[in-house]
Amino acid sequence: MSSLFDDLRHSRRSAILDEWLSALRAGAPQHTDAPASMLARSDTEAQALYDAILDALIEHQPADSRSTAAKDTPVNLTALLRQWSAEPARQGLSPAQPISGLLALKRILLRELIASPDSSRDTELPWLEQLFDSLALLTFETFGETRERMIAAQSLSLMELSTPVLRLWHRILLLPLVGVIDTQRARQITERLLEAIVQHEARVSILDLTGVPIIDTSVAQHLMKTIDATRLLGTRTVMTGISPEGAQTLTKLGIRFGDVISRATLRAGIAEALLMVDRRIAPVEARRATGGA
Amino acid sequence: MTSTPFGQRVEIGDAADIVTARRAARELCERLGFGKADQTRLATAVSELARNVIQYAGTGHCLIEDGSDALNRRIQVVVEDQGPGIANLEQALTYGYSTSGGLGAGLPGTRRLVDDFQIESAPGLTRISIALNKPF
Repeated sequence: MSSLFDDLRHSRRSAILDEWLSALRAGAPQHTDAPASMLARSDTEAQALYDAILDALIEHQPADSRSTAAKDTPVNLTALLRQWSAEPARQGLSPAQPISGLLALKRILLRELIASPDSSRDTELPWLEQLFDSLALLTFETFGETRERMIAAQSLSLMELSTPVLRLWHRILLLPLVGVIDTQRARQITERLLEAIVQHEARVSILDLTGVPIIDTSVAQHLMKTIDATRLLGTRTVMTGISPEGAQTLTKLGIRFGDVISRATLRAGIAEALLMVDRRIAPVEARRATGGA
Repeated sequence: MTSTPFGQRVEIGDAADIVTARRAARELCERLGFGKADQTRLATAVSELARNVIQYAGTGHCLIEDGSDALNRRIQVVVEDQGPGIANLEQALTYGYSTSGGLGAGLPGTRRLVDDFQIESAPGLTRISIALNKPF
């Protein structure tokens, strides 16, 4: 049992902890508007982490220094470290921030270990290294996981945003598609459109593809299925916004949209859709003239 | 994704990588002075091939390179995977044939989209090389 780690954990705890905290503050990004409560919380967090790390150093040291079979990191330390790393990830800080904080503590402990006269460095040095290596790994892993979860959540909410079904006119729906259409989005588009068709008793739906970067066979197939389904509900579909390059590419790919009505621009598509429900856009003058006659 | 002055390597593992790969292809295409139609052609072809990798092999990679010489600008893309391979190449290149309920237009369509098309496939390695050429 190491007396040094015990010292650091108890009698010299506040001195070492203070040194680490000031190192953390020096390395922290300069938030001019960071509320004092946040700083205070990160201090208590750091204290808890310090205690947990030293407890782990004291209690979990393997009996044989050369045994590479690392014991599992204690559960409470893992939880603290995850929080330590997840918070900066959520705030959009660099992954260097939590890791350099951890490594600052390692430098301090290392210095103490080397300076201490009575320690058996042969066993303690490798153990310190080993523990901090696994902690650094865990920190980085947590950071990555947190970011990935954030990205997944954001792309989900983006997907929600990007498939609005608009009621353009009585019995005419407009579905402007923007971005990448994958299987999941295609399913969502179909669902929303079909629901809206029934709700509004739509006769025509306009699928605007101006914002779809690439129409390959998979996207085309998704679109065809959507169009087939709307047809079963008695709605005709007008496709608009396929670019000249897109049209060329589609024919080269050998994809035929068969009897789907397609117009180059949304404007032409709207005119077509209005015709289908026996409406047209006319100048105000003409109407006055017929009304007056 | 790693890039060198001459090309880019894009790992393909999920649907987002399809977007990365075809964007990389489109960018290099544009930088080499290909027109918009050519950019769309190549991006669509890369999209098809990358999707095949994910659907049939799971993972793979895609190498996008500048192959220009004194006479022609040339962009070439190699898509490789270590999947089970294509059992019958002739069928796979026939329009309307699909083992997955797709349109069966992907491979034959891609072949028509590009200027050069080479495919080799065996269990454990499928490699498809495509290229666009345009004289200076």
